[in-house]
Amino acid sequence: MASNPEGIEEKRAMLEFGARRELPELKELVMEASSALARLDANRLQELALSCQALNRALVPANADERAVLASQAREATEEMAVFARVLEATRANLNVMNRLRELRAGRLEYGQVGWVPTESRHGND
Amino acid sequence: MGTINSAFSLISGALDADQSALSITANNVANANTPGYTEETPNWQQNQPIEINGGSYGDGVTETGATSLRDSVLVARLDQQQQLASASSARLTALDNVQALFTPDSGSISSKAGDIGSDITSFFSSFSSLEANPTNNALRQQVLSTATTLAGDISNAAASLNSQRSGLDQEAAGVTSQVNSLTKAISQLNLQIQSTSPNADAGTLEDQRNEDISQLSKLIGINQITTENNGLSITTTTGQLLVSEGSSLQLTTGMVGGVTDFFLGGTDITSQLTTGGGELGGYLTARDTDIPSVLSSLDQLAYNVSTNVNALNNTGTDLDGVTGTVANPLYIFNQPAPGAVAGSAASMSVVMTDPNQIAAAGLGQGTGDNTNAVAMANLANSSIVNGQTPTDYYSSFVSTLGATVSGVQAENTAQNASVTQLQTQNDALSSVNLNDEASAMTTLERSYQAASQVFAMLNTIMASALNLGDQTAVS
Repeated sequence: MASNPEGIEEKRAMLEFGARRELPELKELVMEASSALARLDANRLQELALSCQALNRALVPANADERAVLASQAREATEEMAVFARVLEATRANLNVMNRLRELRAGRLEYGQVGWVPTESRHGND
Repeated sequence: MGTINSAFSLISGALDADQSALSITANNVANANTPGYTEETPNWQQNQPIEINGGSYGDGVTETGATSLRDSVLVARLDQQQQLASASSARLTALDNVQALFTPDSGSISSKAGDIGSDITSFFSSFSSLEANPTNNALRQQVLSTATTLAGDISNAAASLNSQRSGLDQEAAGVTSQVNSLTKAISQLNLQIQSTSPNADAGTLEDQRNEDISQLSKLIGINQITTENNGLSITTTTGQLLVSEGSSLQLTTGMVGGVTDFFLGGTDITSQLTTGGGELGGYLTARDTDIPSVLSSLDQLAYNVSTNVNALNNTGTDLDGVTGTVANPLYIFNQPAPGAVAGSAASMSVVMTDPNQIAAAGLGQGTGDNTNAVAMANLANSSIVNGQTPTDYYSSFVSTLGATVSGVQAENTAQNASVTQLQTQNDALSSVNLNDEASAMTTLERSYQAASQVFAMLNTIMASALNLGDQTAVS
């Protein structure tokens, strides 16, 4: 969950990130994505998705040197991609657990089983 | 009941219920910052209808206690992930220390374990220099000097590794008292919970028990088994009983083979604890697997370099025209016993004190000959350590260590991320705040979906970047 709902901090970080270099290194992008996912910073991740789309569109190396630099960046980012993949995998597992819990609760509500207090009713008109 | 008293009873019952609910809310607010506290909601029980003059009037409600908004499945998963994260954190710290030992100190001229790679090169290069002028005393002295540096760096590295292993051993042993204290507290809480709330959530007591279990999960790998009357049994991940409702078994330690082993009820469960998780699992994995593996590689290097160099020097002729014999061998390094690889690194040292004893000449050749010096210089390019040259073997060993550290780092990052995510979900569900569970779930889903997009996009970009033949951007 984002620590600041307004996303001010993310926007500032994004501006600084963009200001550092026109084409951020892939490694930094991947590390940033892993970190944002660990924090469940959905806003930041959506910004990164847009950044990646833009980067993908702009990915036309002009010459052999640029292609070599890009290939080198990709190789350097391999380990960070492995980390990102692991974090994504862990998130998927957590999401599965949460979805399963939600289904269980829904089932209990539907069949009116005793022992479950619907979370929706705990504030308000109690 | 059929009187005005019944009506008053209904009204006062409702007032009492409201008062109790307010009390629970106040308790939630007061404990908003208490670690492990779980928000409580009042339980309402419908009263019997009240009969007044033949009519049934309302039924009112009674507040029958509070239920904590916790989800045992989520808490259990959080504990499980915490065990894995703690294990990899402890292991990573240990591995970082090991890796730091083998990081070259650029610019330093002092003897350092991190310089072993360059030491090997310098040592064999000194024989190359000696080839050109085999009788030169300074060049002979240079051979002994580089040999001393190499042996010193390898033996220092082994000593540091053994020291780190001892440190981990002490850290591991120190966990025992914390584990015992927590299992005892959990068993006592079990008794209290079973006697006060056998059929319902035990509120604060259950919070305390969950907090203790969470702490225990950071220390060792555990399984939880819910028992009758809200009781709980706890075992290690391989099934050894630690807490059985109201009683707990104490973990004890004893020295076995120079390291601390862990016992439960007289059974040595060290290996089970190693694979179980928690800090203890991480310490033990580093102590019993990672460091011994590094030491073993270093031993192999020391053994093979020492024995091969000694064997060649012993078959040549030194500056005084002497050739080594069984009784009076011409050894440069301390000669390990045949096949005694273990401990070779720690005991590696230079035993030769007289540079004239370097057998640069071949057998039966004059003292100005360089045949044996050439042969010893060529050892640098010979596959004398497990099918590799000494330098390649060392590089490969350092690379393997780096890959292990990197792998554990990735594991640790993912596990910590998982713990953070689950903690967020758990906080949303059971902490005192205004965010509700649905909001937390939405954030989790949004984050996962956005991250999946980022991952797919980055994967495409990287594939495109690596495929240099394709110069166009991927669509």
